Order: sequence, then structure tokens, then C-alpha cells
Amino acid sequence: MSGPVPLLHVQHLSKHFAGVAALEHVGFDLRAGEVHALCGENGAGKSTLIKVLSGVWPHGTYAGTVTLAGREVRFRSTADAARAGIAAIHQELALVPDMTVAENIYLGAEPRTWGGTINWNKVYADTEGLLREYGIAVDSGARVGELGVGQQQLVEIVKALSKRSRILLLDEPTAALTDSDVETLLGIVQHLRSRGITCVYISHKLGEVFRVADRITVLRDGRSIVTVASAGSTRQDVIRHMVGREITDFFPRVRSAPGPVLMELSGVSVADPRSGRMVLRDVSCNIRAGEVLGIGGLMGAGRTELLLHLFGAFGRRVAGTVTLAGVPYQPHTPADAMARGVALVSEDRKRYGLVLDQSVSFNLSLASLRQVARAGLINDAAEYQRNQAMVTTLGVKTAGMDSVVAALSGGNQQKVVLGKTLLCAPGVVLLDEPTRGIDVGAKVEVYELVNRLTAAGKAVVLVSSEMPELLGMSDRIMMLSAGRVGGCFTHAEATPERLLTAAMAFHRGFPKDTPHEEKH
Amino acid sequence: MKKSIEVRFLALGIALLGIAAFFTLHPRGRLFLSPQNLSNLSIELAVTAVLALGMLLVLLPGMIDLSVGSGVGMLGGLAAVLIVKPDFIWPGMPGWPPALALLATLLLAMAIWALMGALISRWRIPAFIITLGGLLIFKGLHWAIIHNATIPVAVGGQENIYSLLTTYYLPEWASYVLGGVVALGIGVSRVRARRLRRAHGLPVDEAQTAFLGTFIGLQALLLLIVVLNLYKGVPLALVILGVVAWATQVITQHTSFGRYLYAIGGNEDAAVLSGINVNAVVICAYVALGAIVAVAGFMQTAYGGYSTTTVGNLMELDAIAACVIGGTSLKGGRGTVLGVLFGALIMATLLNGMTLLAVTPELKTIARGTVLVLAVWMDVWLSHRYGAGGGSR
Repeated sequence: MSGPVPLLHVQHLSKHFAGVAALEHVGFDLRAGEVHALCGENGAGKSTLIKVLSGVWPHGTYAGTVTLAGREVRFRSTADAARAGIAAIHQELALVPDMTVAENIYLGAEPRTWGGTINWNKVYADTEGLLREYGIAVDSGARVGELGVGQQQLVEIVKALSKRSRILLLDEPTAALTDSDVETLLGIVQHLRSRGITCVYISHKLGEVFRVADRITVLRDGRSIVTVASAGSTRQDVIRHMVGREITDFFPRVRSAPGPVLMELSGVSVADPRSGRMVLRDVSCNIRAGEVLGIGGLMGAGRTELLLHLFGAFGRRVAGTVTLAGVPYQPHTPADAMARGVALVSEDRKRYGLVLDQSVSFNLSLASLRQVARAGLINDAAEYQRNQAMVTTLGVKTAGMDSVVAALSGGNQQKVVLGKTLLCAPGVVLLDEPTRGIDVGAKVEVYELVNRLTAAGKAVVLVSSEMPELLGMSDRIMMLSAGRVGGCFTHAEATPERLLTAAMAFHRGFPKDTPHEEKH
Repeated sequence: MKKSIEVRFLALGIALLGIAAFFTLHPRGRLFLSPQNLSNLSIELAVTAVLALGMLLVLLPGMIDLSVGSGVGMLGGLAAVLIVKPDFIWPGMPGWPPALALLATLLLAMAIWALMGALISRWRIPAFIITLGGLLIFKGLHWAIIHNATIPVAVGGQENIYSLLTTYYLPEWASYVLGGVVALGIGVSRVRARRLRRAHGLPVDEAQTAFLGTFIGLQALLLLIVVLNLYKGVPLALVILGVVAWATQVITQHTSFGRYLYAIGGNEDAAVLSGINVNAVVICAYVALGAIVAVAGFMQTAYGGYSTTTVGNLMELDAIAACVIGGTSLKGGRGTVLGVLFGALIMATLLNGMTLLAVTPELKTIARGTVLVLAVWMDVWLSHRYGAGGGSR
């Protein structure tokens, strides 16, 4: 082959997490000076690949080889990768908000004077030099916390460049940016390419990908599917590669005729009270008894925010109404929501679901102690009985109800969280990624639980990033796209291509001149 | 987790024996094990332990209270002034009946601590700062209330309900009746809990181990009553401690409120999403602590017989130390009543022994600090070694 020599060459890269393959025999090559996009659905393995390349997952935790400029590299840490000229910019920015731009850029690598103190003049002069060199308009003396997300992103990039990085790995750099910031960032990426910096660019936003990328590699289910030149291919091709899978029938959804509407949203717009940013706009849908409403969307589409809002745990409703069983519903706290029979299983069970140091029984009871307590005094016998029944129903594998919940496997922890929710006897169950990080067997058990709930006339809202799960378990599917409804589909109408197209419907972000955003 | 608790209690037991042996064998410490000293020790233990149990209630949800020492001084002083020197508060006001003075002070304490709890939870001001402010404010108020004087708890050497808090001893027959009732209560509740656990397939200790454990505990109780009866009898203060300890045990282990304390300290986000009103729970914990501070304040002041400017000094640190020594996590979510009682016993023994040996105050203070540091170090070491230990039960 006579093409350019690859700068970075990845062969047969495999990485497993607790038996689940995140990457399998991935091959990937990066040519010097190109912008190479990685595309794929959530969970396709893009971020894992980035983490291997940047040393977050050290050599030894994966199989396969990574060759940089002809020599195999074995990074033991991110510092190793940085020395080799590879820097990753993750979605969560690693900047100190109270320090200035220049202080952040040279944090940990401060130039010294002969007396051993920090040479501040050099810190600021060098920062100015870097900003000029790469054409980035940020004030070197500004406090990072006062900058917008877009500018912070640029600071991260300059910080990486200050270490003389040759390869930049950008993980969804535009996910949180406004349109104008996206433009700036794309301009910078193109400018970096002209200066010989190689970029790996992860994004769900295919429009951006086709604008900046020279080549595109599609990952699916941890495998590298294809690498194409962006000039010779279309969006539809890429989407087809991203989705193209057989959906096997391990979703035991039992469908029944849906009952009456339990919850109805009309024109709901929600703002994040801290930043004032609009997170959801004009969302309308209804949720019926005995039905699973699936909610899909890309990262940052507002799925979790919608569930948390309906649970009284997030956001300020700026417009729209919600009714529950025909009565207006506006919970201000989770306690309000639970009093109306709405329950939530949160996405991150360790952070939001469990008190890890405590027992299975403690966690099961936490949200529904009122049922087994009289005047605040807990009836131990009633509590044991009820919790034991729940442990049996859910098939929680544990040494006993008083085992510490931290000692359980992920799947069993998730069952405890579900049990905690079910003990509240809710009418509407909001499930946020209920099968994330649990094994296939436990997943099927969770699905069967969903069947039981709908058979008992409960309404289930299922947020999922996994397309097969969404298609397999939902009776209807609503796709959110940048906080708006990108499309609604019945089970029969839904195809992976349609869902993905709907998920990207508003992916360019909000129009800048919308009324709410600027006024708050 | 079980293991780390066992190791901790073993270590505490050895430490306690070591401390007691040192004081007993010391040439000037012959009186350490005398009935009179053990009687005094039991009263000192009662004050420290009552305060520490209150501290447990706010440490569990991950808060702290640095103001309890000053609170002890202020509340004890206020009650004494209301009874003995009412002019200090309002010229011409007659002296209050002692019971009324104690009750009013107790209610005032609950109100003050409710306010601090509200500032901490509702307004999200760190507990450390609010209660540090409280420490200074209460200290100043204490001195102002007693006019920097020495105020006796009862007029002219008489007895009243206030002074009796630490000078009343149960008659011998009453102490045995009480001991019998307590023993019966413990025995019955143990058997019931055991039966219940077994009925639900939960692991229980072997019958012999369980019996032996309870039996040894009851023997120790009997021994304690006998020894105390060799002097003046079982002090009322010890009975107060028993009541407070029992109440705290019930609250932390058998009420929803107690569960919420552990849940908030263990994972506040999960607690909120479980529908727990975190603010209300935290405020309630502070109100309960306020009541306990008042009770400890009355006892401590009565023990000295007078309210002086130094009453309550550093007691917040003794209370925190007792909790930490007993395995309470300063990050919240972990701690038991039994552990706190053990911790308080170690602190009280140490202070009592040093007083007996006429150790200088400077050395005493250094020793207290050293014990605190050692306790925290042991806590961290045990957590590393055996994982986070000590659940709610």
C-alpha cells in the first residue's frame, strides 16, 4: 500500500470489563496530520479505545498492540502517554476553576526561576505565545471558572499543546457547546491540522464529523467495522454501519393492550436552576398504564434530566404542564413524587441508589419505612418479612438480608435498587438505564420484572442508551434530541435507522435567539 | 465488616485494661479501684458519655458540633443563675423553682440547637463553621450570664433537684430492683430478637456464645452495682446515662429517623432520592443534641457544685474523641451506641486516673490530644485493613 505511513497503529485490541467485552480485536490506524473521527452508538467502545490510547487503562489491562511511529508502546499511565506526545481531552474537564488560564496550563509543570520559585513572567509569556500560535482568543489572566464551557475546552487543548503533544484525542468535545463555540472549536481543529497536529475526534454529531474529519472509523459493539474517507461517503452510510446489527430476541417483552393514560406531559420546558440553561424544551408525551415508554437519545439529550424532573429532583419548569391521573402534577422534592406514586431507579446505583456500607435490608427499606413503622418505631418482624419476600421475588443472590450491599455483584445491587423502588408500590416507575453494567442473565431478570410491572397495570418509563434494549422492551419510543422530542414511534414503526435519525434531529444545538435562554 | 468491629472492640478492651492497670499499679494510684473512686468515675463517665451519645446523633449524618462544651457551661450556668442569682438576668426577679429553671433551660437549648440545625441544613452552611461560631458565642454568653463569678447550683449549700443530679445515690434495695429489671429487659429483648432473626433465616450467634455474652454482661452489671453499693450506692447520674443510652439505642436502631441518620451520612444523594427530608432529619438531630447538651450541662455543673468560667472547657473534644474511639466515622454513616459508650469509658478513665495521680493540667491536655490522634489513626488503619466497618447494627 502506498498511502501515508500510519503514525499510530492499533492491532487486535481487546479489552474486557468483568467478562463483558468493551473492545474486541479492534484495528485502527492514524495517519500523521489527519483528523480521524470515531463514530458509534453509546457503548460501542469509542471512549474505551481513547482510554487505552491515552494510558488511562495501562498496558496489561488489555490485549493487542499499539504502535507509535513504528515502535510498540506500553503506557503505564497517562503521564507515559503524555511523554509520548498523546493527550486526551475528556468530556469532564480537568481544570481548576479558581486558577487563571495560564496557571491551569502550566499546573504541575511550572517553569522555575534560579531561586526555585515559580517564574510567573515565563508562565504568562509562554501562555500568550501558545494562544497566539494556535490562534485561540482567550485571556491568559482570566479565571477559568468565569469562562464558558467552550473556552474551557480550548484551555484544555492549549494545555495539551503546551506539553508538545503530537496527537490530540478529543472525546465529544462539542457535546456541551453552543453553536458559536462549536464553530470556534471546529476552526481550531482545522488550524491544528494545518500545524501538523493529529486529532482523533469522537462525536455523535455527524454534521461536524463530515466537516472536519479526513477519515471516519465506525465502531459497533466493541469491534471496528469500517474505516472510510469522509470525502467518499455519506451520512446514511455511516449510520448504517453504526446500527447494522441483528437484534436477537433476548428481550422477553410480553405486550398487552395499554390501559388509560396515567401521566401526560404537554409542552414541558425545564431549565437547569444553576446555569439557567434550558435542558428540555416543549416535551409532550403521555404514559399509559400497563405500557413501557422507551426514551432514547444521545448523550446529553436530556433523558436523565426528564426523569429526574418528573421525580421532583431536578430543574425548574419554565413552561408546560404535567398531569398524573388527570390531576396537575408538579413535585418539588422526591418525597412529593413518591407521595403521588412515582418512583425512580437512578442511572448510577452507587452514587444515587445505594448506601453501600449498609445491609441489603437497610437499603431495601430506605424509601418505604413508613409502611413498617408506627409512630417512627420500626416493626422488625414486619420489615424482615416484607424484605425477605422481596429478596425472594427478585432472586437477589446474597448471603443474607444483613449482608453489606457493597459485597454484592452489580446485577444483584441493581436488583436491590429495584426492590427498594418496588416496595414503595409505585404507579409510575421511571427506570434510568436499569441494565447498565450488569451481565446478560441479570438483564433478562430485569426485563422480566418490567413485564410483571406492566402486567400489574403500572406504567414504566425506560431510559436506555442501548438500541436493542429500547427496541426490544418498549411499546412506544420517544427519542430526545438536544432536549426536544426528535420523534415518537410505536413499536411497529421503530427501526434503528429511524431512531438514530430522530436522535440527531436537533443535534446542531439550540438556535441562539430563543426567548428563554438569554433572559434567565 | 464484622471482623473490623471485633478487632476494634478487642483493641479497645486491651487499651482500657492497660490504662486501668497502669493507674492501679502506679504508686500514687492505689485508690484507683477503690469504691469511692469508681463511684466518682461512674459520674464522670455519665457526663462524658451522655454528651458523646448526643454527638453521635449529629456525626451519623456527617455533621459535627464543636459548640457542645461551651453549651454545657452556658446552660449549666443559666440554670444556676435562674435559681440562685436571678438578679443577674432581670433585676428584682425572684429565684426560679429549680425544676422550672432546668426545664426552661432545656427547652431553650432545644430551640438554640434547632436554629443551628436549620442554618446548617437549610442554608447549607458547613456545620463546622456554625458550631465554631456557637462555641465562641456560648462561651461569651456563659461568662456574661454568670458575671464571671462562681455561682452555686443551690442556695446556701442546700439540696435541690439540680444539685441532686450528681449527689443522689439510689438506696441499696432500689439499685438491686433496678438491676433486676434491666437484666430482665436485656434478656427478654435478646431472646426475642434472636427468635425473630432465626424465623427469617438470618444468621444468629451460636446459642452458647449468645448466652455467654449476655451472661457476662449481666455479671458485670451486678458487679458494678455491688461495688457502687460499697460506697454510697448507684449514682443517679449513672441511671440518667442508662436512660439516655437506651433511648439513643432505640432511636438509632429501631426508628425511621435513626435509619435516615445513617442513610444521610452514608450517601446523601441516595437519601434524597429515597424521599427523605434531609433538612428535617438534620434539624431533629440537632434538637435532640441540644436537649442532651442541656442535661450534660446540668450534670457537669452539679458535679462541680458551681458554675464557673471553666465549666465545659474542651468537653466537645472529649465527646468527639469518645465517638471516634468507639468507631464512629467523622464522614458519617457509621457508629454505634455501644462503641461510643466504650470510647467514653476510655476517655473518662484516662481523665479520672490522671486527676488521681495529680497530673498537671498541661500534661493532661497533651494526653487527651494524644489519645484522640491515636484513636483516629487506629480508625483509619482498621478501615484500610478490613474495609469500611460497622454498619447500623
